[in-house]
Amino acid sequence: MTDRISRKVFLRRAAASGSILTVPGLLAACGGGGGGGGAGGGASTVAQRLPKTITFSNWPLYIDVGKNKNHPSLQQFEKAHPGTHVNYIEDINDNDSFFGKIEGPLSQGQSTGRDLVVMTDSSGLPQRMVQLGWLEKWDKSAMPHAFKNLIPSQQHPAWDPNRDYSLPWQSGMTGIGYDPHKVGYDIDSVDKLLTDPRLHGKITLLTELSDTMGLVMLSNGDDPSHVTDKTWTAAYNKIKAAVSSGQIRQFTGNDYAPLLASGDVWACFAWSGDMVQLQADHPGLKWNPPKTGAMIWTDNMLIPKKGNVYGASVLADWFYIPRIAAEVEDYVNYICPVAGADKILLKSDPAVAKNPLIFPPASLLAQTHQFDAKALNNAKYKQQFQNLIGA
Amino acid sequence: MYYLGKMALSGGLFPIFSFGWHWSNFSNALSTYEPQFTRSFEYAGIATLLALAISYPLAYWIAFRGGRWKNLFLLLVIAPFFVTYLIRTLAWETILADNGIVVGILKDVHILGSGGRLLATSAAVIAAITYNFLPFMVLPLYVSLEQIDTRLIEASRDLYANPLVSFSRVTLPLSLPGVFAGVLLTFIPAVGDFINAQLLGTPRQYMIGNVIQAEFLSVRDYPTAAALSFVLMAAILVFVLIFARALGTDRLTAGAAA
Amino acid sequence: MSAASPALSLTTRLPIGVRAWRFARHHLLNLYALLALGYLFLPIGVVIAFSFNNPKGRFNYTWQGFTFKNWENPFGVPTLGGALRISIEIALLSSLCATVLGTLIALALVRYRFRGSAITNLLIFIPMATPETVMGASLLTLFSAHAGIFPLGFNTILIAHIMFNISYVVVTVRARLVGFDRHLEEAAMDLGANELVTFWRVTLPLIMPGILAAFLLAFALSIDDFVITYFNAGTVTTFPLFVWGAARVATPPQINVVGTAIFLIAVSLMLVNITVQSRREKRA
Repeated sequence: MTDRISRKVFLRRAAASGSILTVPGLLAACGGGGGGGGAGGGASTVAQRLPKTITFSNWPLYIDVGKNKNHPSLQQFEKAHPGTHVNYIEDINDNDSFFGKIEGPLSQGQSTGRDLVVMTDSSGLPQRMVQLGWLEKWDKSAMPHAFKNLIPSQQHPAWDPNRDYSLPWQSGMTGIGYDPHKVGYDIDSVDKLLTDPRLHGKITLLTELSDTMGLVMLSNGDDPSHVTDKTWTAAYNKIKAAVSSGQIRQFTGNDYAPLLASGDVWACFAWSGDMVQLQADHPGLKWNPPKTGAMIWTDNMLIPKKGNVYGASVLADWFYIPRIAAEVEDYVNYICPVAGADKILLKSDPAVAKNPLIFPPASLLAQTHQFDAKALNNAKYKQQFQNLIGA
Repeated sequence: MYYLGKMALSGGLFPIFSFGWHWSNFSNALSTYEPQFTRSFEYAGIATLLALAISYPLAYWIAFRGGRWKNLFLLLVIAPFFVTYLIRTLAWETILADNGIVVGILKDVHILGSGGRLLATSAAVIAAITYNFLPFMVLPLYVSLEQIDTRLIEASRDLYANPLVSFSRVTLPLSLPGVFAGVLLTFIPAVGDFINAQLLGTPRQYMIGNVIQAEFLSVRDYPTAAALSFVLMAAILVFVLIFARALGTDRLTAGAAA
Repeated sequence: MSAASPALSLTTRLPIGVRAWRFARHHLLNLYALLALGYLFLPIGVVIAFSFNNPKGRFNYTWQGFTFKNWENPFGVPTLGGALRISIEIALLSSLCATVLGTLIALALVRYRFRGSAITNLLIFIPMATPETVMGASLLTLFSAHAGIFPLGFNTILIAHIMFNISYVVVTVRARLVGFDRHLEEAAMDLGANELVTFWRVTLPLIMPGILAAFLLAFALSIDDFVITYFNAGTVTTFPLFVWGAARVATPPQINVVGTAIFLIAVSLMLVNITVQSRREKRA
């Protein structure tokens, strides 16, 4: 037994003895909260206490919403774990700015005031936080569902091969969104998008480095998950040429969506989740994975340093129960990382379960690639890309 | 009390410079981003002039024709800003869409070519800046126009007979403090603005604010971001000094009291 | 002589340029002002129209059909109601504080020459000249260096808003003070009023339009601010923060409803105020 493990076990025992010695009612009165994973027997199944409050920061409108604006999945969690309240806040609006916000306390070894946060891997920031030692590891012993139900394609990302620090919340694919009536044909080629004179000034690319550079690298036959100076430069020059010729109208965040809907943009690099929403009002719009390959990004649940590991682990695991995942998915409509959720939705909402943009078939997922996390934190690349989209 | 306010004002601003920078940062920053610097001052300058042209008659009208509805009109000038910027911009995108009415008319009268568009052009960015800073021009203009004693204007009419002369000799000079304040309130924040260029422009329209934003949040090159902002602030302060000297703040005070 | 002829003869005597100028002043100015107000309201018209839109997806981008359902349930989107309340509270408090402090600073700057007044004159412009991101981040540095005194949240947003609002207030109020006729104050003092009474009865009413305009500006700045608020909000969410964050996955029409509602409430409050005042004047 290493020192660290023994210390952890010791702490758990201390916590367990605390909860055994106290009458639950009295405990609640003291502000201690209820027992966690059930009463403990031997040393192997020690009980651990959930904190009174678990603070979960997420993006707005990114979880199921019930009749009274409440979140049924969280309510059921609180019901299953009496005495624990989930403080769910929707205060993440942008990866970079959010990182800027929590960077201060983290770099000074202070708590961010959050137990669980959701950040996108394609921003390169989760990987950076792992390197800086700003994330806590999961308490996997408290997570019976997560590692059983995580879909295979998500199990071993290069930046966190064993999912020690991260678990997918939702994912999205990046491909080509377009209006077939305007374009005149089914477009699944990045090269065509960047050069077809018919589309001159009618296309947009994304301001996200990983999405734009990734798709273009794939079109060059290069691997975006292992970026080299050579593959980088090739992609860079290709985009630069399309910028200079005026082929590219704009680089956008998800503000390409209104432009595509209004017909100002005919084809663009687009996120699958946006297309699900756009298609509800504009059934004519289509999304294709480029034949050279699509990109995939994932929003990950993470525990920032000094967050409550046990509480965050139990809560994260909760969302890997297929029944709960199905509820969340039915509202959110991005790509669900939980195996089995589609089977449940097949009964309650077959349209969602059968939508290939929400539950992509394995053949489609096989065409998706993740961007090189190391390249994402390469200052030279970032600077060049900023100059490219801002020159 | 005054000092307290002053301290609060200056105290918050300087921790940024503790990030530390070297002189080379400045020269690098300046040479690399010179186009964005020039563009920022260009756009902000044009937008300020446009805003002045739109606002002066409006402020004049509210001040002298508004009667008891003055305050309502003031509120109306501000009211569009209760709708969050993003939603206002979406509305503009609807209005200026490539196949929308405005572009259609401009094409019919051949101001725009057949392949022309308004969105994602310099015109769109400048128009957006003008629009979003309009209240900062209207309100100070109103504030100083409103206190002009109308008897002074009447007297000057008798004196000069020609209302144009009386306007340029009396009304305009008396409202100069408002023009001064309005130009500063519009121009200064407009130079550092980034959001209009980001949402309505293309990379070719990006301003120095966009660069600082990206250096700060995406590239995380704090020294460059700090150096750029320092240069920007210094340039703006120099502008304020020159502008104050040119209009002559002392003369302004004297002129207004006369 | 008929009643019309003196006016007629008067106009015929005036040079044509003057008549054109008169005509322009009477009609063109009205027209111009209406056009300018129309320009200001053009996007708001679209915003209001889209509050009645009925999109099936989550993006309120293109017209899909008319409905009242967004108005029946304006807070049917989680977080929106609470965020709006916080925004309004902060806007009211910060613009009030900034107006009081800014007016005092403006008075000091115009009336007195004190040590450092020249520097203060220039310092006033620094918060306006600082790019928002830099301002937001440096305030965050300041607040987190004193995390014990300033835990991030409502109060830090409030302090930040007061700070950037003060400059705008100072510049606006100063535009009024520069043209202020100090003889009026002297006259009041000669008539036996003390300094406080003079300030309350003479100075304040005369600079009131400036103060009101400054307050409105500060309010608009505060309620629309995203960048600086974002850095200093901690876990608090304001209305603009909600809208920007939600935009990644949705733009519910309720956002338009709420914007329209604030606008209508503000305008009707002002109308009530005007009617009450004019009634009082009639009675007096």
